[in-house]
Formats: sequence, C-alpha cells, structure tokens
Amino acid sequence: MLNIEKLSAGYGKFSIIKDISIEVADGKTVIIIGPNGAGKSTLLKVISGLLTPASGTIYFDGQRIDEKAPHEVVNLGISVVPEGGRIFPELTAYDNLRAGAYPKRARKHFKENLQEIFHLFPILKQRKNQLAGSLSGGERQMLAIARALMSEPKLIMLDELSAGLGPIVVTHVFEHVEKIKARGYSILMVEQNVLKALRLADYAYLLESGKLQFQGTEQDFRQHPHIRLSYLGI
Amino acid sequence: MLILNGLVNGLLYGGLLALLAFAINLIFGVLNVLHLAYGQCVMIGLYIIYVLTILLHIPFIISCFVAIVALVGLNILIHVSVVQPLLKTPLLNQLIALAGLIIVLENVALGIFGGDYLGFNLIFPAFAIGEVYIRISMLIPFLCSLAALAILWLFLHKTYTGLAIKAVVQDREMASLVAMNTKQIYLITFAIGGLLAGIVAACFAPIYVVHPHFGLAFTLTAFVTVVLGGLGNLLGGFIAAFFIGIVSQIGAIIFTSEIGEILVYVIFILIILFRPQGLLGVKVRSA
Amino acid sequence: MKGTDSLRRGILFLVIAVLAVLLILSPFLLSSYLIHILILIFIWSAITTAWSYMGRFGLVSFGHGSILGIGAYTTALLFNYYGLSPWIGMFIATLMAVLFFTGLGYCCFRLGVAGHYFAITTLVEAMVINLLIINFRDFTGGSLGLTIYPLGTAPLFFQFESKTYVYFISLLFLLLTLYIWKKIDRSNAKRALIAIENDEVASSSIGIPIVKYKTVVTAISAFLTSIGGIIYAQYMMILHPDAITGLHVAAIGVPFKAILGGIFSLWGPLVGTALYTGLEEFFRVAYGTRFIGWSMAVFGVVFIILIIFLPRGLYGTLDQIFQERKAFKADKHSTIP
Repeated sequence: MLNIEKLSAGYGKFSIIKDISIEVADGKTVIIIGPNGAGKSTLLKVISGLLTPASGTIYFDGQRIDEKAPHEVVNLGISVVPEGGRIFPELTAYDNLRAGAYPKRARKHFKENLQEIFHLFPILKQRKNQLAGSLSGGERQMLAIARALMSEPKLIMLDELSAGLGPIVVTHVFEHVEKIKARGYSILMVEQNVLKALRLADYAYLLESGKLQFQGTEQDFRQHPHIRLSYLGI
Repeated sequence: MLILNGLVNGLLYGGLLALLAFAINLIFGVLNVLHLAYGQCVMIGLYIIYVLTILLHIPFIISCFVAIVALVGLNILIHVSVVQPLLKTPLLNQLIALAGLIIVLENVALGIFGGDYLGFNLIFPAFAIGEVYIRISMLIPFLCSLAALAILWLFLHKTYTGLAIKAVVQDREMASLVAMNTKQIYLITFAIGGLLAGIVAACFAPIYVVHPHFGLAFTLTAFVTVVLGGLGNLLGGFIAAFFIGIVSQIGAIIFTSEIGEILVYVIFILIILFRPQGLLGVKVRSA
Repeated sequence: MKGTDSLRRGILFLVIAVLAVLLILSPFLLSSYLIHILILIFIWSAITTAWSYMGRFGLVSFGHGSILGIGAYTTALLFNYYGLSPWIGMFIATLMAVLFFTGLGYCCFRLGVAGHYFAITTLVEAMVINLLIINFRDFTGGSLGLTIYPLGTAPLFFQFESKTYVYFISLLFLLLTLYIWKKIDRSNAKRALIAIENDEVASSSIGIPIVKYKTVVTAISAFLTSIGGIIYAQYMMILHPDAITGLHVAAIGVPFKAILGGIFSLWGPLVGTALYTGLEEFFRVAYGTRFIGWSMAVFGVVFIILIIFLPRGLYGTLDQIFQERKAFKADKHSTIP
C-alpha cells in the first residue's frame, strides 16, 4: 500500500534521513523504532507532505505522492496523528471530529462515522461539547486518534503516541491502537516505547542516525542481540 | 442628556467599527498579516458607489453590489500579488509592502479623481426616543452591520469552510494535516475581507464624502480597535469596537472631535501597557 | 595579490577624495534649487538612518513623527515666544522628545509590548502628538502652520539666508548619523539585538538584558531623529503638522526610504532617501499635481515589487552581491585545500 524507496530528506544543508526504504502492506501494522533525533518524525513529515524530500520516491496505492501538498496526501487516504496529538484546543471535541471529516468523501458519512467513533471511544461522546484544550492528556490523544479516523483513511500514521503520557494512560492508548488494528486499518507507527510497540507490530524497522539499521518481524527483533541490549533492556 | 446621546451614537458607530475589526482580525488570525491598506479598499468601494450612482445614475443598491464584487476581486488580487509572496518574510517587509499599497491606492484615486470630494450630500431624518436623537443614517448601517456579523458568525460555526478558517487560525500545520487546503483558505479569507469592505463602503456611502486620504483617518481607529481587543480575537474586536465607539463619541460631544480622538488613543496606550496582548488577546511572549 | 589590493585601495581613496571635493564645492557651483534638494536629502537621510537603528533589529516604529514634532515645535515655540536661541532650545526640545518616546518605548519593552502591537502603539502615539499640535492651534498655529520669526542671517539663532551654512551643517549631521550607525554595527549591542529579535525568551534566558538594549537603541535613534527634525524646521522656517508629524511623511515615508535602500546596510537609508526624494521632485516638476498621483502610484507598485524580489533593498542587494563575490574570490584564492 505504501512504498517508500531510497528516501533522503533534511532541512537545508542538514541531511536527517538517508536512503530509507520502507513498505507498509495492506492491513498491516508497521513500527519504526529508534532513539531520539534518529529522524523518525522527519520521515513522517516527508510522507505527509509537510517536508519535500531531497531524493527518493513515495508511492501510495500506486500513486506517487512525494511531491504532493499535505492536504492532497490526506485526501488520498493517509491520516496523521502527529506528536502530542495536536488537537485544536479552542474547538470543541465535536468540532475537532468534524475537522477530521473535512475530506469530501468523509463528509457524506459523517453521522455514521461519528456513531462508530463514539462507540469506540465512549468518553468522547460524553465530552463532545467540551473545549478540546480542557481535556486530559490521554483524552486528547484519544481525540486525535478519533479525528484521524473520521477522514475514512486507508493508512494511519501515528507519531510517538506515548510521548508525555503516564504509564497507565499509555496502556489505554495502545489498547486503542489494537482496536484500530483489529478493524483492518493499515498503520505506520513511530515509537520510542519499543516493548509495547513491538507487540502490535507485523513488521518493524530500526532507524538510527537517519539510516535503517535493521528490519524484521517481532521475533527477529526480540532475538537480535544489539536490540535486546539497547532497546529491550534484556 | 448629552452623554446619553454620546452613548447611543457611540453604539451605532461602534457597530460599524465592529465590522471593520472583524475583517481585519479574521485576516490577521488566518494569515498573521495586518491588512494596513484596508481603509483604502473601503475608499475605492466608496468611489465606485459614487461614480455609478451619481455619474451613471445606476440605482444605489446595484452600485453597492458592484462595489462589493469589485472589492472582493481587488482583495483577491492584493492577496495573490502582494501578501502571498511575502508570507514567510519578516514582519517589517509585510508591513511596509502594505504601506506601499496604501500609497498606490491613494494615488490611483488621486490620479483618477483629483483631490476633490465626492459624496451624496443628502440629509437624512433623525427621530427621537425621549431625549435621545437617533439618525437614520447611522441606524441603518448599524443594523446592516449587525446582520452581516450574525451571518458571518453562522458561517464560521456552521460551515466546513468556516471550520477550516477556525482551524487554520489555531494550528496552520495541523489544519493541512486534516486535508484543509491552507492556501485556499488564505484566499477565501481575503475575499471575505473584500466582501466586508464592500458592505462597509455601502454603509458609509450615505454618511461620508470620499477623497483620496479618506482611508487613513478611520484605518487608524480600526487598527486601534483590533489591537485593543487582542489581535486575531474576533470577540475582543467586537467588544473593543463598541468601547472605542462610545469613548470617541462622548469625547467628541463633551470636548472637540480632536480631543475625542486623542482620548481614544491615550486610553488605548494605557490599556495596551497594562495588558500588552489586548483585552482578550493571548500573551505571545514576555520580556 | 598584495599589489592588486593596494591598487584597489588607491582607487577607492581617489574616488572618495573626488567625492569629498565635489561635495565641498557643490554649494558654490550648483543652482539654489539643486542645493535645496541636496539639503533635503542630507537631512532626511540622517533621519532615516537614525530610524533604521531601530528598524534593522525588528523594532518597527511608525511613530518617529512624534519625535520630529516634539523636537521641531518645541524649539520653534521656545524661540518665537521666548527668544531662546535654537542652539540651546534644540537640547531642551530633544531632551523632551527623547524622554517622551524612549519613556513610552521603555514601558512597552518592560511590559512585553512587541512586534505588531509595538508598531501600532508607536503609530497611535504619533497621532496623539499630531492631533495635539492641531488642536492647540492658538499656540502652535494648528493646520495652518507655524512660522519661525525671521531674523535674516542670524547664525546665533540658527537662521541663515544663504543655503551654504545649512548645507554643511546637514552634511556633517548626516555623517554623524552614519558614524553612529557604524559604531552600533560594531558593538556588542548589535549581536544582542539580533539575538533578541530572533528569540526573546531564549535571549533573556542566557542573561541578555533585553529591556536595556532595546531602550538604549531607541534613545539613540530618538536623539538623532529629533535633531534632524529641528534642522529641517529651522531650514524651512515653517512648521506644518502634516509635513513633520503626518502619517505620510513620518509613519510611511521614513520606513519606506529606509527599506528602499536597504535597512541592513550603512548606505541603504541614504540611497533610499536620495532616490525617493529625487524621484518625488522629478515627478513634481515634470508632471505637476495632476499626474503626480499616477507617478506616485507607479512608484508604489515598483516599490512593492522591489520588496518582494529584493528584500534587502536596492543598495542592500548590491552590497550582498559584493560580499558574496568577495567571499567567493577569497575561497578561490585560498591556500587551504
């Protein structure tokens, strides 16, 4: 579904990621792990169209998207939950969900999708008229995920979902991701919490210093000595 | 009850200011640009209305409609040619480019019409409620302004485009990540600004006479209103408009009209010093 | 290489010497009208340069008209009503102008009024001064203007019938403002102010006294602007609120001229003022009042195009090209691999 080949990008003279090749197959969950500053967020920015790559190609559903503007990328079916969720603080939770349903195809089924979301995340139904900025950290993350779902995406990209959240909240958040995965969405997830992320992964990539150092299934990762030492603490 | 008259007149004047403030705030909130040449746009609208109505004997309402369409076009042109290229450049460049636009528009008016005043010279009746005199020429624009504001409010809160505008104001990047075409939103915002400028011109036409320097006088009042309410804050601008309307009218009635203006400016400076972000603005940074 | 360097320096020296001779001889060779234009250019270049002390660091002021107004009017009024020589009145007036403007600036900086808010605040206070001058017309002559009581040639009272003296006074004043520009450019203040413009919070967190630097540069700018305004008023012998504190001249005109030439370079404001004043005069003479509208409109359009494509101004862009070529050549001749 998503095919990235030899992607390189950076800011001005600074190259952040080099020669990245990643694949997300239909309905699969792919995780990208790596330390801070490895370029994981930059990678998502390039895919979503916020940053133009220096070289390489990105294909989504057979279409080339590496030169497209963000709103075009989202319209094609990729949804993003950026780091911190970035809900619109001065809009109500309900309006945030409306914003998620902005693409024309999603507007048609707004009412049904909304019911689905409220079914998946009952708390949001309770808080729907509350200003999003006044929700708790975990609720905001939930809202951000729900908003991403409202656009009827084919692929959902999640950037550091667990960042800044307490451990119990993190567990809840990952449970949401499991629910989404169970519904058959393709997921591309960038995470620092390797342990929890690996459990959801169909396939994973290790990004260090802007380059892909390793890739494989959950098993491959669990058995790799460097990863066991540096990331799993085993 | 002189003061009561001042109060009522101030409210009516404030209604019009509120429309101006709304447009400037909207543009600032979405694009982070102060449309310094907004007053000049209104001036162009007035010229169009006068030329069509007085010289070509076209009915007033149709002239107003033409002016509104023309101003939408003018502002789209301004956006595409001046504002958009400068969106990522420093503050000074944007401000000065728009100041340059003031020069261009004023001098185009000067070139076409010379320095003569152009106006309707009509006298409208006033009616009294108790001791208070209300001029029809101020009441109707006031009502139009409130109607326009109400429609705009509905637009912002009930339509998807309105939602997009609100989203862009809060988080431009995230808005694009929910499939909102920010470039298009910028353009639409400027077009709305033009629309409102046209409505303001239509409201001003019966009351004022126009000349090339018409814009400067009330542009400053409009910007004072906007900054006082908090740049980008629509509700703040609304409240500030009535506040300034009332202060300036009462000041003008009690003293001279210059003192009325001075009073507004002095109060503005005092309030800004005590609340640098304006009445309802958000604190951006502290020294 | 050393040979070409000293040759270059020699040519530069020659050019400067020729220019200096021309400048000194001009008042004796040129027509009265041309000397008048030169004087205007000198005075307004100085004022514009002084404005750019603030402008180049992001402290956009639309309120320098208030400084010009307070300085010029106070000096003129002290002379008209009390016979106080402008040479002394100048300092009292400038003190008042600097205290007013810098005081307001200090309050703004201290309380966090910056960027757009600061720009509008300066615009507003200039309007206040403008309106006060107009309102107290019994005292100041209001919109009709204030004439300085003519004494003929009275050097002790800053009045000269011959333009030559004002020519040299304004030229020296211009050189002073350029000199101070250079001093600021070489000082620690410059780096501090650039840091402040980039990120105030970060700057203050590493201990840069933001308010102090902003206030000092504002005071210097106000001081020189005031004197410039006084020289202008004394030369013209007539003061008009619109010509001195008006929006077109001070709020729009001064920043315009500075940016036209380029606010980040020493000669920028001078080049911008010379060009602007020259063109304005040219259009006025060639086309009269009717067509001045169109010519100024065209000028405005050209200016906007300029800002979009040459954000560093006319001179500034040339300067940048020269600097880049110098660096490139240095690279080429570098012995370091």
